[in-house]
Order: sequence, then structure tokens, then C-alpha cells
Amino acid sequence: MRHRRIIARALLVATLALVPAGCGDGPTGPLPPPGRTLAVAGGGNNVPDRYTSDLWVHGSHAYTGTWGASPRGGNAGNVLKIWSLDGTGAPSLVDSIVIPEITTVSDVEVSTDGAVLMFSAELGRNEGLYLYDLADPAAPAFLDSVHVEEGLHTATFGEIGGRRYAFAAKNAPNPALRIFDVTDPAGIVPAATVPVPPHYGIHDTYVRDGLAFVFAWDTGVIIYDVGNGIRGGSPTSPVEVSRLITEVGIAKHPAVHNGWWFHNPVAEEARYLFIGQEGPGIIGDEASGDIHVVDVSDLANPREVASFTLSGAGTHNFWMDEARQILYAAYYNGGVVALDVSGTLSGNLADRLIDRIEPGGDDNTYTWSVQLANGSLYASDMLSGLWQIAVE
Amino acid sequence: VPGGEGLAEVRIVQPTFMLRADGPARLSLLATLNLEGATIEDGELTPGAWGEGFVDRRHPHTYLHELLLTADDLLRGADGPTRISLSVGKGFAPFGTDDPMTRPVLRYPVNHHLAQILERAVAIAAVHRGGVSGEIGLFNGDEPERPGQWPRIGGRFGDSWAARLTAEPVAGLELQGSHAHVHSPEHRPGAGTDQTKWSLSGRWEGVVERRPAYALVEWARTSEAGGFFVYSSLLAEGAWSAGRHRLHYRFERTERPEEQRVSDFRSLRPHLENSILGITRWTIHTAGYSAPRLERGGAAVQPLVEISLGRIGKVGGGLFDVRQLYGKESFWSWTLGVRLGFGGGTHRMGRYGAAMGGGGLHQHRDAR
Repeated sequence: MRHRRIIARALLVATLALVPAGCGDGPTGPLPPPGRTLAVAGGGNNVPDRYTSDLWVHGSHAYTGTWGASPRGGNAGNVLKIWSLDGTGAPSLVDSIVIPEITTVSDVEVSTDGAVLMFSAELGRNEGLYLYDLADPAAPAFLDSVHVEEGLHTATFGEIGGRRYAFAAKNAPNPALRIFDVTDPAGIVPAATVPVPPHYGIHDTYVRDGLAFVFAWDTGVIIYDVGNGIRGGSPTSPVEVSRLITEVGIAKHPAVHNGWWFHNPVAEEARYLFIGQEGPGIIGDEASGDIHVVDVSDLANPREVASFTLSGAGTHNFWMDEARQILYAAYYNGGVVALDVSGTLSGNLADRLIDRIEPGGDDNTYTWSVQLANGSLYASDMLSGLWQIAVE
Repeated sequence: VPGGEGLAEVRIVQPTFMLRADGPARLSLLATLNLEGATIEDGELTPGAWGEGFVDRRHPHTYLHELLLTADDLLRGADGPTRISLSVGKGFAPFGTDDPMTRPVLRYPVNHHLAQILERAVAIAAVHRGGVSGEIGLFNGDEPERPGQWPRIGGRFGDSWAARLTAEPVAGLELQGSHAHVHSPEHRPGAGTDQTKWSLSGRWEGVVERRPAYALVEWARTSEAGGFFVYSSLLAEGAWSAGRHRLHYRFERTERPEEQRVSDFRSLRPHLENSILGITRWTIHTAGYSAPRLERGGAAVQPLVEISLGRIGKVGGGLFDVRQLYGKESFWSWTLGVRLGFGGGTHRMGRYGAAMGGGGLHQHRDAR
């Protein structure tokens, strides 16, 4: 395992040397973004009691989940941490919400208006969906929850037709896309359940422009019309538009885990869907899985056009700086990767790597999620907590 | 056990009934019923055991352990001394060593899921000539999920294969090498990672100072997810009977995956992803003594005692922490039991038709 990491680093050095000569194998259209470097600016090593899971930043506060499939110090991942961000953006812990009888807070998100905090929970009697009021962002107040048997792996807000929905990934057995109407966050209303084949089921959902991209492991990505209009679907009656199984690569399985539909304001197109593949891993030490790029300019016929591999590491959650055409990917033991996604994407994107950082260092990094907010990049790391990363 | 405490329990383990019926035209039917689904529904406390969603407890076998119809010596005299057979039904794939149930040590080894492939829908062709036998078999890759479950034939049968070569260079010594590819053993619908398996062994049965003796040395290796995970095992065991007393000993060093648990003795099923928490290596010495058998009217009773001493080590990285889970890195356990046997001897599980050789009955096992 150590051998693999050394190889990865050697490859990275070789790749970075190419960057100043120009990113990409001839991207067309606007110039690619300038080279950016990632550097630790604040935070880190601030959650010693538990393993950290997902992350969301809104305004002057951040919220992180905890993961407990293997207890840390005997503690389950039954806590949501609340962070205050100071004038420089550095996080400091202000409070925690403890949810009894769960093992993991698996996903965290704040509504676009900053009014509602949502998180999903799995493994335990109280697994399901939780909503909190953020009138005081430092002290979220419970609004409502719904128990979901087998738990929810992720939950994503979607604003459709003037209403707000939560698109949630129900775990196996009987995995499904569960949609809840949360327009009244104090009264969660089930809207729809869409079964997903149990291979291994659904892991995440990305909702935009009335389309729901369901990332369904070996079934691939399934695109549903949930209000876009192209198939007459709605949140209460999703209609499938198309599906695609991405390449297996060295992970040996598609293992389609997460994604981001890139709306490129420079090229004025919404052509690419980035998909994260979660391959085999030894949690806390080693991971595998690539970034796959799917051309969805014809939503009825998506096709894979490019991919990015970081040898010896595997990708997890994404965030995009769409204006600058940069994809930020949490990369587990690989830390955080910044990728130039300007122009036309094709084939191997190895020379699109802008920078990479392991915020906790070589033996203290296993990054779950990233988010760009307030000019900083924030990263939640299972081992080393919440980091603020300067993007320069 | 997890939590650092000890645990004691009384169980009926390996309740097994075997039947063999020979029919016309060299057809034979072999059946093994196993009632562990009723007697150890929550598994048997066994240090290092894992598989089929159980951990630190051995899972119960399926009720129908074997049901094989064999057409033996298919070509009769046409192929001279060569013996060719075809077996179909439910049973062992032609891979690895004998089922632990038919070996002297009562406690199952940690390497059970590395060294045997069992309870599958199988079709096995075997050929035997001059002390050498070869087998090749097709089967379904999925492990059973509960004692009453049948192999998934539709969509799974034939997705996995195994081949085994066995030679007996001198009387009593048997050398075995086998290889298998198993598709998605831990996920019945088929989305799980594949395994590539190797096994080498030497098995000897003979006489030491005019007393029956038995020895087995085996090496097994399973590579999973294209080599991302690799687990190896080395095991040596032996037994020696002195009069009506019998001594046995086993040394084992086996690696196993550490999976996400949903309770002390259960891992998460079905899987949500292909990640594990780490790999541990279990080094265990097990020694036992069986007292003289008391026999009456076809029934036999044989008391035994067995003790195991072991150590758990972590291999490579990952979040799994031996001390955090078990409170220590060494352990011991002991078993006091009585073997009960009725009727005739048992067959050698896992070898069918021409691969059974001339023997098939094993003096070092008993129904329990």
C-alpha cells in the first residue's frame, strides 16, 4: 500500500511539471483557468473524538457530519458539528447536535436561502432524514424528521415548481430514490419512491433544472425528469430520461457514486456530467476510483468521453467553481484534487490536474468532501477534521 | 470477544446426517443434511471466524449441505483404467481442502472461506487415472445468506469455476493444487467484487508406531477486486491416536477482512460499497484430546477437550484497531464437548465420483 502511494506521488510530480506549459490537450474555446495552488489556511485536526463525514458551508457557519462504522475512541458517528467561520474563514467549533441511535451522519446540506439544515443518517433505529431551522445558524432548532428503514446514504435539496424537495438515497435492501416534499420543513411529506436495482443501489443524487441524476453504483447513472419537462416528469412522478454505465477501470466495477452537472458559464453550455467512482478501499488508508466525464448534451444519449485517474487514490464528493471551470474533488487518501475542466474534455485528463493537497499530511488524510465558499475551499477529512484551504 | 469480555455458551454444533445410495448404471446419490440452522441460528462462537455476514462467530451451514447425483465411470471399460465421472447437484466446488467438519479439530479454522467453496449448485467433471485425478466444475458464485436458502441458479449458475488436480505419489500421501474464479461471492445479486483463489496442500494418512496418524499442510490465497485485497493462509494440523485416545493439533496463520459491523458479531449485509476497515492476521495454536469412544448399539460417544491460544495482528493500514475492538491482541478459548455418532462412517465431503479415489471414508472424523 505504501508502495502505491509513492508511485502516485511520483506521477504527480511528473504531471505538475506539465502544467505551466498549458493545461489540456488543446482545449477549444476560451482560455483555460490560470494555474492555482492549494494551501492550508486554517482548521484541521479539530475532531479528535470522531471520524468526520460530510460538509456544508453557508454564510459564516459550517456543518460537518460524523461517521461511525468503525467507532473512534468508542464513539459512534452520531454527531453533527457546528462551526463558526471567523473573518479569515477559519473554522472553530461552537456546538454539536447529538442524534441517539444512529451510527453515521451521512450527508449534510443547507438550503439555498440558508433557512434549513438537512442531514441524512444511517445505521441505527433513528436512521432517516432530519431538518433543522437555521434562524440562529449557530444553534439549529429541530423541525422534523422521518424514519427510513435501512437508512439514507445521502439527501439533496431540489427546488422545483416553487416547492422544495429532498431527494434521498435509501440503502439496500430494496434501495430506492426517496423524494420528500419539504416545502414546509416542519412537516415532511413523502412525494415519491423510485426503486433502484440492488447493484448495490443508490448512493447520491444531483438535482438541477428539473433533472435528477441518480448515481446508482453498478447500474450506472440514471437521469430522471422531475420537472424539467422533457419527459413530463415531476417530483411526485419521476420519468426516466436515460441511463449510462460508466467504464469500470481498475476498480473492476462502475461503482457510480456521485456527480455534478457542470453548467459552464464561459462556454455557455451544460455539456458535461462529472461522475465519481468509488472503487474498493481500505478506509483511512487506501482508495480507488476515477472521475468519469459524460457528455450529456443529448440527455437521451449520454456517452462517456473522458476520465481522470489518480493512481493509488480514489475520488469521493465534488464541488465546482463553475465560473473558473475548476472541478474540486475530495480524493480520500489523495486529499483534494483541483482539475481544469475548461474547453473540450476528451480521453485521459491527467494533464488537467492543477494541484493536489493532502491537508492532514501523508498519514492523516482521508478526505470525504469539499466545498468552495466565501473564497476558500473547505474540506472535511475523516481523519483530520475540517480544513480551510486557500485557493490562490 | 468484541468489548474485551469473555463469553461462554453451550451449543450443538455440526449436527450432520449423511446418506449415500448406489443405484443402477453406476449412479449414486450423496446427501448431507446439516441442522445448524436450528441449533446455532446465531452462529458458533469461534475466534477469527468470518463470512456470510457473521464475524467472530461461525455461520450456520445450509440445511441441505450436499445433494449430488453422480454418474461414475461413464465410459466403463472403453477408457481402460481411466475413470471419468460427472456430478451435478448442490455441494462443494472442486477447490481446496476437505471441509473442516470432516477433520480432527472441532474448532473451525479462520481460513474456511479461503480454503473451501461450498454449498453451491455445481456441475463437476472428474477424471482419475493412475493415482492422479483432475476435476473441473462450474457453479454459482454467491454464498448462501441463510440456512434455508438455495443456490441462485438463474443468472448465477456458471458464473464461477474451479479446477483441482490431485496426485497420490505414494500410498497415503495426497498432494493437491487448485484454482478458482468466484464471481461476487458476498453479494447474491452479483454486484460484489470477484475473487481469484489458489490452494496448495499435502495430506497424509498413515501409521506412526503402529498407531493411525494424519497430517495436513495447506496454503491458500484469495485475491479480491482485481488484487486490491489479498488474503493468505497457512495451516498445518495433525492427529495421532494412541490406543483409544487421540491427540490433535493445528497451527494456523490466516488473514481476514475487517468489515463494517452492525453489531458485535454481524457485518453489514448487503454491502453498500466495496471498502473494508482493514485486514487482520490471526495466528492460532489449537490442541485437543479425545477420550476413548464409548460405543453401544451403533451409537458412539466420545468426550473431547480443545484449547486455542491466539494472537491478532493488523496487516497494513486502515481504521480497524484490534485493541479498540477486543481490548487486547491475544486471546484464548477452550471447548469441552462430546462427539456423538450414529451408524456408519461419513464420506469425505467435497470430492465426488472419480475424485473420491478408492477411499472416501476417513478415520479421523466423526458425526458430532
